[in-house]
Amino acid sequence: MSKKVVMTSTGVPVREKPLGLRIWNNRGYYIMFLPVFIFVLLINYWPMLGVRYAFYDYKPVGEPVFVGMKHFLKLFETDAFWNSFKNTLELSIMRLILTNVASIVVSVFLNEMGNLLAKKTLQTLIYLPHFMSWAVVASIFSLLLSPSATGMVNGWLKDWGVIPADGMGIYFLADSKVWRPIFYLINIWKETGWGTIIFLATLSGINPELYEAADIDGATRLQKIRYVTMPALSNTIITVLVLNLAKVLNMFEPVFVLYNNAVYDVADVISTYIYRQTFAIALPNYGYSTAVGLFRSLVGGALVILCNWLSKKVRGRGIV
Amino acid sequence: MAKEKVVVKPKKKKIQLFDIVNYIVFIILGLLIMVPIWKVLVDSLNQVGVYQFRLWPEQFTWDGYRVIIETEALYRPFINSVVTTILGALLGLVLSTLGGYVLAQKTLPGRDLLAYFLLFTMIFSGGMIPEYLVMKELHLVNSMWILVVKHGINVYNLVLMKNFFENIPESLYEAARIDGCTPAGIFLKIVLPLSKAALASIGLMFAVTVWNDYTNVKIYITDPTQVNFQYKLRNMIMDGDTPTTAYQVSQTTLFNAGIVAAVLPFMALYPFLQKYFVQGVNIGAVKE
Amino acid sequence: MKKKLISMLLATAMVVSLVGCGGGATEEAAPAETTTEATTETKEEAPAETTEAAAEEYKLESVNMVVNGTLTATVDNGQADFEKQWEDAVGVDLIIQQLDHSGYVDAVGRLFAGGDYPDVIIMSADMYAQYAPTGLLWDMTEAYENADFQARMTLPAINEALKKDGKLYGFAPTYGNGCVTYVKKAWLDAVGMTADSIKTYDDYYNMLLAFHNEDPDGNGVKGDTYGVIAAGFLGNEAPYINYLPEFWQDAYPAILQGEDGVWYDGFQTDATKAALLRLQQAYKDGAIDPETLTASTKIAREKWFSNDQTGSAGVFTYWAGSWYQTLTDNLIKNEVNEELVQLAPIAEVEAIGGYLNREAPVWCIIDDGDGDNAREQAIFDAFIETMMDGDVVQTLWTYGAEDVHWSTKAESFKTNEGTDKEKAYEYAEGEFHLKQSPNDPNSVWKKNHLDPALVVCELTNGFVDTAELAVAGNKFFTENCIDAPLSPASETYTNESGTIYDAKLAVVTEVVVNGGDVDAAMETYVATVGSIIDQCLSELNQ
Repeated sequence: MSKKVVMTSTGVPVREKPLGLRIWNNRGYYIMFLPVFIFVLLINYWPMLGVRYAFYDYKPVGEPVFVGMKHFLKLFETDAFWNSFKNTLELSIMRLILTNVASIVVSVFLNEMGNLLAKKTLQTLIYLPHFMSWAVVASIFSLLLSPSATGMVNGWLKDWGVIPADGMGIYFLADSKVWRPIFYLINIWKETGWGTIIFLATLSGINPELYEAADIDGATRLQKIRYVTMPALSNTIITVLVLNLAKVLNMFEPVFVLYNNAVYDVADVISTYIYRQTFAIALPNYGYSTAVGLFRSLVGGALVILCNWLSKKVRGRGIV
Repeated sequence: MAKEKVVVKPKKKKIQLFDIVNYIVFIILGLLIMVPIWKVLVDSLNQVGVYQFRLWPEQFTWDGYRVIIETEALYRPFINSVVTTILGALLGLVLSTLGGYVLAQKTLPGRDLLAYFLLFTMIFSGGMIPEYLVMKELHLVNSMWILVVKHGINVYNLVLMKNFFENIPESLYEAARIDGCTPAGIFLKIVLPLSKAALASIGLMFAVTVWNDYTNVKIYITDPTQVNFQYKLRNMIMDGDTPTTAYQVSQTTLFNAGIVAAVLPFMALYPFLQKYFVQGVNIGAVKE
Repeated sequence: MKKKLISMLLATAMVVSLVGCGGGATEEAAPAETTTEATTETKEEAPAETTEAAAEEYKLESVNMVVNGTLTATVDNGQADFEKQWEDAVGVDLIIQQLDHSGYVDAVGRLFAGGDYPDVIIMSADMYAQYAPTGLLWDMTEAYENADFQARMTLPAINEALKKDGKLYGFAPTYGNGCVTYVKKAWLDAVGMTADSIKTYDDYYNMLLAFHNEDPDGNGVKGDTYGVIAAGFLGNEAPYINYLPEFWQDAYPAILQGEDGVWYDGFQTDATKAALLRLQQAYKDGAIDPETLTASTKIAREKWFSNDQTGSAGVFTYWAGSWYQTLTDNLIKNEVNEELVQLAPIAEVEAIGGYLNREAPVWCIIDDGDGDNAREQAIFDAFIETMMDGDVVQTLWTYGAEDVHWSTKAESFKTNEGTDKEKAYEYAEGEFHLKQSPNDPNSVWKKNHLDPALVVCELTNGFVDTAELAVAGNKFFTENCIDAPLSPASETYTNESGTIYDAKLAVVTEVVVNGGDVDAAMETYVATVGSIIDQCLSELNQ
């Protein structure tokens, strides 16, 4: 990551000074980092000492008892866990790709919009869903998608003759076959607009001269998108994808508010599995859920290392 | 300037079809996005609860909103939300600009180490109970300030911030350094003023996260005077069962009004922030 | 075998990788140590102090209580007055910590893990079953037996049933209550039926079909209404089947004790299979609202009394007593014909004894483990003894704070003033009556923590709530109920109850919603959790 030869912006190599001196010269930066350092140490690192409970039987009552690998052995033998593991990867990676593709497309075309008022209005409009919390989104959609006579979407489908009018509606949120598409659609609805913020910011930073040059060359709008806009976006796209990939295993809320026991096979993710193992039990064993969490972190760590490697391969530098 | 005029004219003629398609697609898209939102808005103003889609309220009423404004149990969480969101966004901005600025220094010795120090927290966490115990040690349990502290560090936002800073031309830094500016001086006098777009968008991201936080309230706060609006709203919509008690059941109108109220601050805030988003153009203009 | 091997390998990999990234584990202050530190809130019960003051005359200064949503006098609903009047009456400082009702179990787990032990805590029967063997709860058998309220005890059987091996770790001030089946009278009229004619499951089912196939809500559309709605085909807490008793009948899909005293799995029985097939049929026929699968109690409730009766159901099995009143109030509020009929248990439900009376929630005292009972006895005297004093304090628990929730002063007020739902109330001096709810002038306060109709020791001051429906509802329930089976408690069950419940839901969904084969689904269940269940059973039957 750190280059051997440091250059100034004018391309003149700087001779390396002794490390101690360089650190002293940069002390201002370290002091500025200190608040972040202390904060992270307290809030994030201190609790990490708790991961040792993964090797303990740890209940609300009584002292923790060391049990070695017991929780991990149980975990690896549990089908429900592997199912959730598989679902986590599939759901969150698909979600990541779909919402970002949607965001990119929307921001590119929004950027092409000449009328500033229309652009601003639309921008505001598509940001709206992001300001709603997942609980609210879930309550709205479970009402709209209800299979009973109260469901608006099923009512429309019946009116349009898509499904038989006297038959039962589609149980969108409790049918393993349609749950995932619906899940992705709701995610796209909620997050696409917000996702455009970063891309639009990048787009607004594109040098107008590039477009002008393309105009002179007689490029069409689509050609300009292809040869000017997209290359400018690529760095942002990779940053967003890579950074999010590191977080994929943590997905909880979107699934938690939309899933139910009928779709565990396609919807249950690691976090919801942990949740049920911890919260649905009168006298929970925190050791077990910590073990699941630790395992998740290790896999997540592997993913990040992979991302970093990919990032270096693709664009010559790591995630940060 | 003159050149531009020449270019603009033929452009308008050539791509009309593109524009029409573009507008039509966006109108449909806008409608799709609006359907659920419109339903909430209409239902919040409708005296009677209905399941089907209505374009306008049948019996218009402001009662849903009136209840929120007049009931302490509802407006107090709202105030808590506003306070924690403002402070949380500020703290988040301070820490992520500081961290992002330092990490943006490519030649800083140990920069990678600091980066990994932060990245590690993205992957590893102690789990709920250890975190609870630490928060208890820090006297943040049962206090709404937990919402401010919990979201103070967001590595994702910090990295975005760093990327914004990296777009500031190196020449500006060097000029300042030659003028004898300290790192903090450069930060305050050059970097921050040039980053209004970044500050606005990252600040908004922090604000939305804090505002929409439900999970941390649920885990850390049991004192009803300390909960936020999102928590109250969720309880209103999905409250579990309270057998054998006479729970005052909320009406559809009320919780739809609650949903609107929960989105309103951002709607009100957004036009003011949009001004800064546009300034992103300036950063780009300076670049290269 | 292969699976086991892979597991071992993965486990080994875990250890190696953990050593590889063992950073951060060097700091000194470990959370485990923090758990034992007493915080300011728990000062009163720090073991060291209590040992010093272990003399007979233990001076209790405060009682720290943890309670769920059943304390109706919430912070927004006059809790401060309740607390003040309790403190005045008892002479001890009361610290109320009211936790979120829906996340109560897990919030309590966190409090305990963080070392925040209260003095008294309310627990559901399931929690009580799990916590009783841990030694955390004080054995109050002696205190209970010598309590003054024994003289006024009318329902001694409730607390006798709570004893584990002859020891009582928690006190139930009321019986558990349960659910009865409510039917909308207007809907019955619309399809030309009467509640009296619903005697068997077939009658019941025909009624549900009529509600679906006819037009009971009178909106001109047939088939847009349902027979019954519930929060889940299988409930998530004991007694699991109480929201759909007519379908479950003699099936009890949980681990329970047979008449011979042997524990067995009620889920793997022919009775359960038959019940699942009944639900399957009902789901297919539209007799049951399909949304039952995902509905929470709140959703089910609101859909049932919604102003828009499209998609609603005619039947709802829900809590007896004060909920009879509450459901009616909500129907009135939503301008729906409010008359409800309580359905007498159908023959098949009557065959098991009627509607299930769930196991009662209990108040437990936390044992500080110093071997001395003075502190715990003092808490018992200050808290539980007074709760059943038949007079001032019991009234506080039953109706709330004087002149805030109830009053004996002359008073007149109106609810829903200025609307067509306006109702006037007028009371003479000395007449006991409930006032308007502190946070909602349009509804009359109903009760505080204790339901006057359910308590094990009755009030002696003659204060009676006259809300007709609540009284009638309670009477109806007590005449038609039977105690639900006891919750099991064993090491394995405690750890695996989440997994077992998931497996059961998988069967229910597969059979009822997907129309799957019940035997095949049951085989999957046995394959998934059969060994866990066997382990639980062998522990329980030791």
